[in-house]
Amino acid sequence: MSKHWIFIVVAACFEIGWVIGLKHASTIMEWGLTVVAILASFVLLIAATARLPVATAYAVFVGLGTAGTVIAETLLFGEPFELVKALLIGLLLTGVIGLKLVTPGEKPKPEKGVS
Amino acid sequence: MAWVYVIVAGLLEMFGLAMMNRFKLEKKLLPLVLLVIGFSASFFLLSLAMETLPMGTVYAVWTGIGAFGGAAIGMFVYGEPKTASRIFFIFLILGSVIALKAVS
Repeated sequence: MSKHWIFIVVAACFEIGWVIGLKHASTIMEWGLTVVAILASFVLLIAATARLPVATAYAVFVGLGTAGTVIAETLLFGEPFELVKALLIGLLLTGVIGLKLVTPGEKPKPEKGVS
Repeated sequence: MAWVYVIVAGLLEMFGLAMMNRFKLEKKLLPLVLLVIGFSASFFLLSLAMETLPMGTVYAVWTGIGAFGGAAIGMFVYGEPKTASRIFFIFLILGSVIALKAVS
């Protein structure tokens, strides 16, 4: 697995982090971390998609981000789990990922050497 | 009101992404400033929306509007192919957002 796929996973973790921050941050420190997480997820995503197939990488990223925020709010913050809501979010995610995968996209730059 | 915030946040995200693409091409200050303003406003509205709505729902809808908008702009402004599969997924996003609003 290329290290750029690891970037995607770490970017998605930062993405979940800033979403939690936007909802739950209350101190200057927490808001600061939220801003750092936003920037980190952007930078990592852009760095990774420069080398990976953009549509596939984005689909994995957004899938992890969406599932992660729903799991986090249910497990960590006691938001009640509603099956209908979860299914609709899954359907929405199918639309987003499907759209990315069928869209003729930019070709990634070839990997330099073996990573 | 929270749903209005999410939708406007999604539109601002699309605007921010458009400015990011312009900045990549032109490397000028104006698109950079507009992209920072667009994303900052988008995140601010997201946090307002999350005061009443669950964050998983808000995030999914925000992402959906970004993908929906990107595809719509691609097809109608940049002449990308209007294939049946793209239109199907666009309506899938739209339908699930409307249904999510209905059950919230």
